[in-house]
Amino acid sequence: MAVAEARARRAAPLDDLVAEYASHRLFRNAPDVHVLGNPYRRPLNAETIGEIDFSRPIREDQFSSYGSLTANRILLNFYESESILLPAAGLATQRKDFDAFYADDLRETALALRPELERYAFAFLDDSVDVAGTWTPELLEQHFLRIVEEADSTVTPGLQAIRELAEPRDGADMLLIQLALDGLTEASAMARNLGGSYGPEQSELFKIFIDEFGAGVFEAKHSTIFEKLIASRGLKTDVHAYWHFYLTGSIAIINYFNYLTDDHRRFFRYAGALTFAEWTFAKFFTDLATILRELFGDAVDTHYCDEHGHIDLHHGRMTFENLLLGLARKHGDEVIPELVRGVEEIRLLARLTDEEFIRQIRWADELPRYAEEARRLDDPAGAVVETAQVEPGHPFATRTFDEATVVSVAAGEVDLLVGGENPAFPLREGDSILVPAGCLHGLRAKTHAEWSRSTAEA
Amino acid sequence: MTVAVLDAREHNTVFLGDDRYFVLEDEGRLFLVHDKCPHRGGPLSLGRRTPDDKRVVCPWHGSRITCAYLRKTSVPMVRRGTEITAYLPNGNGAHPVFLAKRRILANYEGVEQ
Repeated sequence: MAVAEARARRAAPLDDLVAEYASHRLFRNAPDVHVLGNPYRRPLNAETIGEIDFSRPIREDQFSSYGSLTANRILLNFYESESILLPAAGLATQRKDFDAFYADDLRETALALRPELERYAFAFLDDSVDVAGTWTPELLEQHFLRIVEEADSTVTPGLQAIRELAEPRDGADMLLIQLALDGLTEASAMARNLGGSYGPEQSELFKIFIDEFGAGVFEAKHSTIFEKLIASRGLKTDVHAYWHFYLTGSIAIINYFNYLTDDHRRFFRYAGALTFAEWTFAKFFTDLATILRELFGDAVDTHYCDEHGHIDLHHGRMTFENLLLGLARKHGDEVIPELVRGVEEIRLLARLTDEEFIRQIRWADELPRYAEEARRLDDPAGAVVETAQVEPGHPFATRTFDEATVVSVAAGEVDLLVGGENPAFPLREGDSILVPAGCLHGLRAKTHAEWSRSTAEA
Repeated sequence: MTVAVLDAREHNTVFLGDDRYFVLEDEGRLFLVHDKCPHRGGPLSLGRRTPDDKRVVCPWHGSRITCAYLRKTSVPMVRRGTEITAYLPNGNGAHPVFLAKRRILANYEGVEQ
């Protein structure tokens, strides 16, 4: 692409650039609920993307908004187009998509959009987290140990929430689907920080990376054993098969690590965030293994969880002692606030993501109650925001609403899909469902159908 | 070090033994500052901000302490949302921490330069 053309592209209005990007053939929605055998197809809902004003960054309380979901989907594309993805079954039928995914035109648009979308998706962290005063390595150590002790003393609320569902197996599968986003491409963000020259801390990170990659043995690579875990649950193992069902937080956390590693000025934040993540993974995955065995017995392959439960005890210690404190001691007080900031930002993102997950699985677990609630609210209905006519075979899309919304079917029948493998919830003529703000869902026509959505005014 | 955890909506002052700290607002950020003027120990939280917003005037002797100095010497703390975790440099946990909400005049303009 000519330099002048690239400059012009960067100067184009943000929303126009997003619309242009989302309308690319790779990102068009298709009828398929799952995206199989092709890691380059990533539907972006070009039809409804115009609802979003990307010039105003989200606030913390808009973390699960449609804009946040969409921005994170696009950012994930940008970051992943910098790593190598090949279909497990070979490239033979997807060569054109491979070439298009990595082509100059998408790369140029991504370069033009990325700073703006990163600001849109992550600027709220600047407001939500602040570190002040003069920090020392000793204080960093005290602070870190204090918060990980707190984290290690309880079961993650999202895991506990699975146990309390009427259908806990659906909740567990939904969690595995969220983990698949990272599990199948594990440590790709980390790879960006392996190069260069920064002393013993670099070697420490490299050892962790080697573990993630099974010390070069494909069978031991974490993504390989993750694949076995989800296969044992009958879940699809294609990279991003569940693209439509990744919750915003699941994507945002992966993006956050890419956001930090993509710009090396953010290295110290990365080191803080990574250390907190590695430390807390051990407990999380041990608890997850317990729950999976409770729910599925010996039929589930928990090797991946057991491996993390074990190796992340080491990784937590290694990153804490030799990366976090190593950097703090070597580079002085000036970098410590950034290390603390990374710790606190990932803590915040993890909490928001967990809250979002709990909201989603509880809603998915109680759809009949929400249908009943919609009937109560639906008369008289709030302002109608959208009406649509759909046919079987129409493109499938998932999204969230920014406020509680009632979806009503006026004619025909649609399936409401709220999880990658959750049973479809049928909505027939006259049926309605209350969709809480920030809950991910999609509608698939079973017959010719007409539906509308209106704001839920109690 | 003594840890103090406070919700910035509920509290803006921390007492630890004979020491007092207050939350200074400066350029949209919060800082936990020792409530003791570096001149003769006056209560800075009862001072007023100069109109240019860059100094706090101590109510005892009129010393004008720059906000930059107060920021630089503020207690190490991290804010997540409205929750502040601060590490007070004295006490070693020997004294209980008390939290309070007071009117912090140092966050208000009121003195001509």
